[in-house]
Amino acid sequence: MRTGLMGGIALFGTLVVAACGGSTTTPTTSGGQPAAAPTGNPTTAVSLTESGSTLLLPYLQELVSPLTAAYSNITLAPSGGGSGKGISDAIAGNSVLGGTDAYLSPGQFAANPTLANIPIAVSAQGIWANLPGITTLKLNGDVIAKIYQGTITKWNDPALAALNSGVTLPSTTIAPLVRQGSSGDTFIFTSFLSATNSAWASGPGSGTSVTWPKVAAEGSASSNPGMVAACKAGCIAYVGVSASAAATTAGLVEAQLQNKAGTFLTPTPATMAAAVTAGAATIPPTLAVSLIYQDGAQSYPIVNFEYMVVNTKQSSSDIALAARTFFDWTIDPNGGSQTTLLSKENFIGLAASLPASVLATIKAKISSIST
Amino acid sequence: MISAPAGKVDAGRARHRLSQTELSRGDRVLRAVSAVAAMIPPGLLVFIALVMVVAAMPSIVFNGWSFFTGSVFNFGNLYATTTITHNGVAAPPQAAYGALPLIFGTFATSLIALLLAVPISVGGALMLSEVIPRRIADPLSVFLELLAGIPSVVFGLWGVAVFGPFIAAHVYPALSSLGHIIPFLKGPVGVGQGLLTASLVLAVMIIPIIASTTLVLLRRVPILAKEGALALGMSRYETAKVVTIPYIRTGIVAASLLGWARALGETIAVLLIIGDIYRIPGNIFGNGSTIAAWIASTLDGALGDFTGMGVHALAELGLLLLAISLLTNLAGRIVVRRVAGGVLPVGRGV
Repeated sequence: MRTGLMGGIALFGTLVVAACGGSTTTPTTSGGQPAAAPTGNPTTAVSLTESGSTLLLPYLQELVSPLTAAYSNITLAPSGGGSGKGISDAIAGNSVLGGTDAYLSPGQFAANPTLANIPIAVSAQGIWANLPGITTLKLNGDVIAKIYQGTITKWNDPALAALNSGVTLPSTTIAPLVRQGSSGDTFIFTSFLSATNSAWASGPGSGTSVTWPKVAAEGSASSNPGMVAACKAGCIAYVGVSASAAATTAGLVEAQLQNKAGTFLTPTPATMAAAVTAGAATIPPTLAVSLIYQDGAQSYPIVNFEYMVVNTKQSSSDIALAARTFFDWTIDPNGGSQTTLLSKENFIGLAASLPASVLATIKAKISSIST
Repeated sequence: MISAPAGKVDAGRARHRLSQTELSRGDRVLRAVSAVAAMIPPGLLVFIALVMVVAAMPSIVFNGWSFFTGSVFNFGNLYATTTITHNGVAAPPQAAYGALPLIFGTFATSLIALLLAVPISVGGALMLSEVIPRRIADPLSVFLELLAGIPSVVFGLWGVAVFGPFIAAHVYPALSSLGHIIPFLKGPVGVGQGLLTASLVLAVMIIPIIASTTLVLLRRVPILAKEGALALGMSRYETAKVVTIPYIRTGIVAASLLGWARALGETIAVLLIIGDIYRIPGNIFGNGSTIAAWIASTLDGALGDFTGMGVHALAELGLLLLAISLLTNLAGRIVVRRVAGGVLPVGRGV
């Protein structure tokens, strides 16, 4: 759906041949491929300002010291504000980097042709319920959509019983929990509902804020930890994987979600990676892709790339060099994509799940950041 | 919005009597500086109103009157490659910007708050001015001013973390049992977020505004009238009912309008407490939202709209709130000035 508009956008970026400063490294040209622009430590100190996604923020804060340890003249300065602010700040030049849970839209690319969104990590979303005594729960998108539409109101509804044979679900009322205001988590959750229930797709639809159908027992919360805290008896909630540990501690049960192939899965590094691998098959040159409800027997159905939006035309060559270096280091399994850094948020890195051709596309996009 | 002290006008007239040559250099500088300073507040108000109108204009054209009656708020399919055009302006497909549930939430929370705050404020002010000796009443009235100085985010935090859960567990179930008599009390009471909790916290926030204004008015009631009533054998209660309250009745209305204007625009406390879901709640305990809270919480989503219409729609909401707040504030001030003259406590901004 995005390729038509995007055809005119430069894919492999501007070729920067000149090496900047003595400490930079210029990868060798191989087999007719354009040489990558150099990365390395800028000669002067550069502050890479970032604003945007609050889901991404804790991970970026983890990156600050190891990045400076690797490149003494690069300081990452992350702040929150929300995905929408991240994108608009990057467009306006208020910050160099904009963190976002949602990829750029064709309209945003058309209005800002020099903008790039580069995935740096993979996140997912779990569906949790407060059902004391229940240890396994199986759900699919259609049933969840009906719960959020108010047509399934009890945990012992026949539709739920059919998915959970062998488990006796209680007769309590289901209290669906939603995120307040606008949220990237609401966007990926409603995208999943739209993909699995046609009435949802043509009704509330998907977006960072939607007009939720009225449900008597509904509740709301303002963050992922807030969702966990507000999920009282009988509740169902969508929670980003970064808060999975808190949800487990709170005694909630994580639902196994039915994927497109019919398998019931929870989000794990393996099932998230399977969804990325499946999604990579259709990744467009812009790198803007939904990983929701992917094919593949082991693909968890609610997975998303965490993106950094960056203008490929920077005001100074030092900032461009620092930005390229940041991206190159961040997606490196020995740099920012170390399991120790990612696992605190339950994110996974790109290298493990993406084929070499897609990684090459990402590297080329990084290389296109210039002045 | 701040009314100029009456003295400024007289001073200006006095200066006019002097010819330009008699003015020293310092006088002329002061005159120029104060003239500029005097222009800033009204200039700012006009500027902000104009900016809001310009920012809202595409949305006003797009929505027409359906803005006020619509019950769906959707920034539309931001990933579409096409746009829809209505009245000549473009927006993403499925975009709809209805303000009705937000207008409802704004008026419902502020009016419930007013209903609760006015009797408490007037009763409290009467106590301070008529019953308690002045040497105790004066320090007590300082507490009213201090209450007005509590940042609204603190009220919000208190409301959502302490007050809401407590009252939902211990008071709301009893209220809900009256549901067979009063229909909007029927149904689930929730966990403490929602319309009623937001209204109760708003009431606490506007009590200082209404009470301190009423106190100023009460102290202007002529002592002779009250002494006359007491001399006729009236009790304190009868004096208040027959003499004091009727004397300041219009003033109480004005003070209430000032408090109302404050409640209409309160953002962060309401956002934290009301649950912030776009809807007209099923009962008084249900989650909802207000114009101010909705602007604050969905701006980030609106920024993703490549047509810009999402931000224009929020600007139209802002313009509507600005108009409502200005009208109530202005009405309050006109009535207060007619009754009391001088300068009254100014409602705290958000």
